[in-house]
Amino acid sequence: MTTPIPLDDEAIRLLRDSAAAIAPPGGDFRRIRALRYHLPGIDPAVWRQIGELGWLGLRVAEAAGGAGLGVQALCALARELGAGLVPEPILAAAVIAPLLPPATLAAVLDGTRIILPAWQERANSLDAASASVLHDGRLSAHKVFVPMAACAHGFLVSTRDGLALLAADAEGVSLTTEPTQDGGHFGTLRATKALSTPVAGALGPALEEATLATAAYLLGVMDRVFALTLDYLRTREQFGRKIGSFQALQHRAADLHLQIELTRASIDAAAATLDAGASATVAACAVSRAKARAAEAALLVTRQAIQLHGGIAYTDEYDAGLFLRKAMVLANLHGSAALHRARYARLAPPEDADDD
Amino acid sequence: MTDPHAALDQLDDAGFRALVRGWLRANYPPELRNPPHRLHLAAARPWYDRLAAQGWLAPGWPREHGGMGLSAARQMIMIEEFERHGCARLPDHGIVMVGPLLIQHGSEAQRARFLPKILSGDHIWCQGYSEPNAGSDLASLRTEAVLEGAHWVVNGQKTWTTLATDANWIFLLARTDKTARKQDGISFLLVPMDSPGISVRPIVNLELQDEFCEVFFDNVRVPRENLVGAVNRGWSMAKALLGFERIFLGSPRQSAYALARLRRLAEHVGVAEEAGFIERHTRLRLDLADHQALYEVFAARLRRGEVLGAEVSMLKLHQSELFQRITEAMLEIAGEAAGLLEPMAGNRDLHPSGLFIQARPTSIYGGSNEIQRNILARDVLRLPG
Repeated sequence: MTTPIPLDDEAIRLLRDSAAAIAPPGGDFRRIRALRYHLPGIDPAVWRQIGELGWLGLRVAEAAGGAGLGVQALCALARELGAGLVPEPILAAAVIAPLLPPATLAAVLDGTRIILPAWQERANSLDAASASVLHDGRLSAHKVFVPMAACAHGFLVSTRDGLALLAADAEGVSLTTEPTQDGGHFGTLRATKALSTPVAGALGPALEEATLATAAYLLGVMDRVFALTLDYLRTREQFGRKIGSFQALQHRAADLHLQIELTRASIDAAAATLDAGASATVAACAVSRAKARAAEAALLVTRQAIQLHGGIAYTDEYDAGLFLRKAMVLANLHGSAALHRARYARLAPPEDADDD
Repeated sequence: MTDPHAALDQLDDAGFRALVRGWLRANYPPELRNPPHRLHLAAARPWYDRLAAQGWLAPGWPREHGGMGLSAARQMIMIEEFERHGCARLPDHGIVMVGPLLIQHGSEAQRARFLPKILSGDHIWCQGYSEPNAGSDLASLRTEAVLEGAHWVVNGQKTWTTLATDANWIFLLARTDKTARKQDGISFLLVPMDSPGISVRPIVNLELQDEFCEVFFDNVRVPRENLVGAVNRGWSMAKALLGFERIFLGSPRQSAYALARLRRLAEHVGVAEEAGFIERHTRLRLDLADHQALYEVFAARLRRGEVLGAEVSMLKLHQSELFQRITEAMLEIAGEAAGLLEPMAGNRDLHPSGLFIQARPTSIYGGSNEIQRNILARDVLRLPG
């Protein structure tokens, strides 16, 4: 058994405290409700606040103007954002920030410019390999399922010729959007010989981090909706009793708690693995494990949150549905549970039976 | 007197682990590795004696009482290494239960009388807790002890008493006050198994092993000084004894062992490369890996010297059900061989039906999984009673 790398507890605590500015624990969801099903789906003033909080530079080295924190810190932030159902694409922006050229980075870190990754070319895929072309500073690309794309000023685009930085308003660029269940949207990005800047580096490690951060966001979704559900079980009365006193419901709650804690342990172990500088294969296995667990557990917990509440949770006015819709979108983003189990099966070494 | 374990203190954790591992390789009887069921005393005796000779029988006892005086962290390392090596579980009730009980609550005379006999292996203990009508609701037990002069007179029946036929002593919970709240009228008694009036009937379990027994008490006279601690305080002592050990019911070892056998079985029956099997096997692997991560969270808390709360129930719950699901997968892929009484092809590693049956009681013993869920709901999730 590996010993987890001790993480900077103080930095994580400060990060969690700072998250309360955007996603106050126990706060209401009026802001989230107001933003949903509209473009661009985020609040620019909040984004600038996010920049001031230093979150966008969380993974950027201190020498480059960032906070120089690790994946464990990223996951701690993601959990808080999930608990607050924060729609701004902070995690996607933060994982690619270390790849951005210095000239672009400053405006990204202070929240003036939003740059999002655009890597996916096929549905239900983890494959960052690309058919897009970057030739003589001109980009031709077709990217799908770019979350919250309409708020971006630019994209970091993967191509077969390396990464390219593309301005959203460059000539030859078109963006169409489809609304998603959680109130956000997916963008489809097309570029035809659009002016673009080559960027050094590869997207692979950043995508692993984004995948794990998505799992951690789902953990926050689960934590919050489970707390909401437990409150309801403790107070709602039927048949002259608190419904939380019924054993059938108690046992279901115990099982949900178990799945949430397995998810937390899995994410924490994966984050420590990435921070310890594991090989790409070991990292991918740890990330797939965590995302498979989080995706399945989040759908279970949010579905059961609706069921345990009963009819009230089937109303749009009640908050439980917000969590279900978020889980529906994020469960399969950066790979469904099935996709991650398949990747794990492909990459994981045969189990060690310890029979020496 | 020199401290026989002083040298251990000089080692760091890795060095200590290496020492334990090396010692097991050199000293553990190879024929006893990964036994398919709980060993009777006769079979386990060589292992008991080797540990006794090494002074390693009681890792958790303080050194002044003949134990190794190890920290929780070091005890974890020892247990991990024992499990890793596939060491058989000893008839260990004296070491795990009676010793800590007497060290904490016993009289000086009781400690002097019993502790050395446990360490030498002269006294083998069994546990008299459950009764036919007191299982999950243990506090409702009815075996009673009535004080008559210098003796407690015990009448009643205990059941699920593991390896009672091998034991020469039994520690039991008996009702000493029928008027008090049920938890407040129970006392702890130490009773020689050869006392007149005790009879033992082995029970053959689903593994077709006589691992546990019924023990009957018919006017058994127990000397008054064999009561531990205060009269009617037995229940809280019994509960406190479950503290540290509870994590081990959640150890991933059983599931890890079973999963390795599932893989071998799949290869043997030729389904290892089938998509359906790979999907199912991968799910189980991921469940095990996440269980190990969760187990490690609790183990780390123990190493830091924290006391584990009710939350540890999660580990036992998940481990036992995972172990069972693995053996269910074994049964399903084994075809007709799922019904065989003996291992397939004479290979002990290929015994799906055996492991399937072995997995059944894990969700019952140590507090049934339904009880564990009750505990989680009430003590961790704070749901109303």
